[in-house]
Amino acid sequence: MVTAPLPTRQLAMVFDLNKCLGCQSCTIACKTLWTEAPGMEAMWWNIVNTLPGQGTPRDVFAHGGGYRDGLPVPGDFPPVREWGEAWDFDYAGTFASGEERRPVQPLGKSGEPPSWGPNWDEDLGGGVYPNSYFFYLQQVCANCSKPACLEACPRDGLYRREEDGIILIDEERCHGYRFCAEACPYKRIYFNPARVIAQKCIACYPRLEAGVAPACVRQCPGRVRHVDYMDNREGHPYRLVHEWKVALPLRPDFGTEPNVFYVPPLAPPAFNAAGEFDDTASRIPMDYLRELFGPSVDDALATIQREREVVASGGQSDLMDVLISRDWNDLMGPFTQNPSELDRQQARA
Amino acid sequence: MTAAQALQVRAARLAAAQSSQLGPSGAAWNLLRERDIPLEPTPLDRQPSAYVQTAWREKTYGTLAVAGLTAAVAGPSLFLRLRWLAPEPRPAITDNDIFADAAALLFPLNGVDAPLETMGDERHPVQAWHWRAGAGKPFVLNATGLGTATRFAHHPVEVADEWANGQWSVVFSGPLHESGVALTAAGSIPVGVAIWCGARGERAGLKSHTPAWITLALP
Repeated sequence: MVTAPLPTRQLAMVFDLNKCLGCQSCTIACKTLWTEAPGMEAMWWNIVNTLPGQGTPRDVFAHGGGYRDGLPVPGDFPPVREWGEAWDFDYAGTFASGEERRPVQPLGKSGEPPSWGPNWDEDLGGGVYPNSYFFYLQQVCANCSKPACLEACPRDGLYRREEDGIILIDEERCHGYRFCAEACPYKRIYFNPARVIAQKCIACYPRLEAGVAPACVRQCPGRVRHVDYMDNREGHPYRLVHEWKVALPLRPDFGTEPNVFYVPPLAPPAFNAAGEFDDTASRIPMDYLRELFGPSVDDALATIQREREVVASGGQSDLMDVLISRDWNDLMGPFTQNPSELDRQQARA
Repeated sequence: MTAAQALQVRAARLAAAQSSQLGPSGAAWNLLRERDIPLEPTPLDRQPSAYVQTAWREKTYGTLAVAGLTAAVAGPSLFLRLRWLAPEPRPAITDNDIFADAAALLFPLNGVDAPLETMGDERHPVQAWHWRAGAGKPFVLNATGLGTATRFAHHPVEVADEWANGQWSVVFSGPLHESGVALTAAGSIPVGVAIWCGARGERAGLKSHTPAWITLALP
């Protein structure tokens, strides 16, 4: 195995779960840009799922992979039906049925209706009324610092870019063995059956090289996503992760040290039996949030709560200013180039 | 010299016109002697991935104990037929967790010697002719160690396959003097065999193989 040099810089992202609308603009921006070729129909390099929910693929965090006590954890790679086929719709059946009311039905490749798909349990959420709740979780490849995918490949089919830590699959070297997909605990690697290779989010590196933010970041109407190099101490990821400590890795227990971080959802207080707010109880169970984001989530939420109250009482909060990002260019760190104003020939060169 | 090294498969000389009878179940094979080639699982501790070593510690692979190998030269081409039992064939990759059956022949590129257990090394490259069910055409790869196999975009090797009665029959063929391997050196060449059982999830280094070279004698 080749020992690759550690990256000199690490690209990092922060997603603010308090701002996501669940509109899937990021998902569609990615889909139309990268995964429309044959064999990629069922790929969603960017996906937004409702939590609590089973995610994409079904039971997304229950397929193994990652590390425990420093050792690789065996994983599996669920079949496509567990992610969601690129199904079609039975328009002909509806128009030809003669029935007055026959909704258009989705059809999988087998001809049967699909039983799972991206964000399949949309907005179902959890809890019991009036303490029901849900939030959205955005996932892309986290370009982990201890990438289980890269280390699982027996033929160095993945590599980590020295200049920004982005992990890419070398499509010439990849032989489609799929150990990487098994080893990724976040299940962010797909298989292209037409080309018999693994494929995944590439962090829009060709855009980054032209100074343009990733499509999912730039197309987000909720201004959820912050991107910068982690070594930029003025950048949002550094400030949110290391200075304010309000952005946390997803499932840190997986041990892969992801470089996508999440500002956890701060829900309103729970209602008590009398139907009044109980300021001591979170509507989203804290045990659930600790499972997702680790034990630091309590302190992170307390910080966000405190800074919100500062603003609510007429004060100024540096943290809230960063999270709000009134100028959307502030979200994109050094990647503020408008792609429509880019000299594409020059960029290619 | 191990018992496996002592194994010799002698290629019969056939008339060029008989090449049409050298398909997977072609009549010409019936006249030739098929040798049983003993196979063993590849050692798990040699897999170049800690993940693979860990994930497969409790799994069974490489259980195919024998394959049949027959060789013939017809006209300018060498034909090598592999046959093995495959009661649960995997004729194509149809899903994320489906792996196709596969087989490969390995040759030292210099026609004389190379470390088989590591798929060659930097001074002794090897060449594999690799068939994967459903792929349509074979792959030809050169390697200088585990995990280094690199495919050629163009090569002269052809393959024909057939699954019938619980058995795969796969015929590799290549021109003797253009395949990149020194196939005519000293009238014989070491050859290795590897077979992957898709139903068991075998892929990459997880396979049944000949632990030592066997000898292919050319007419």
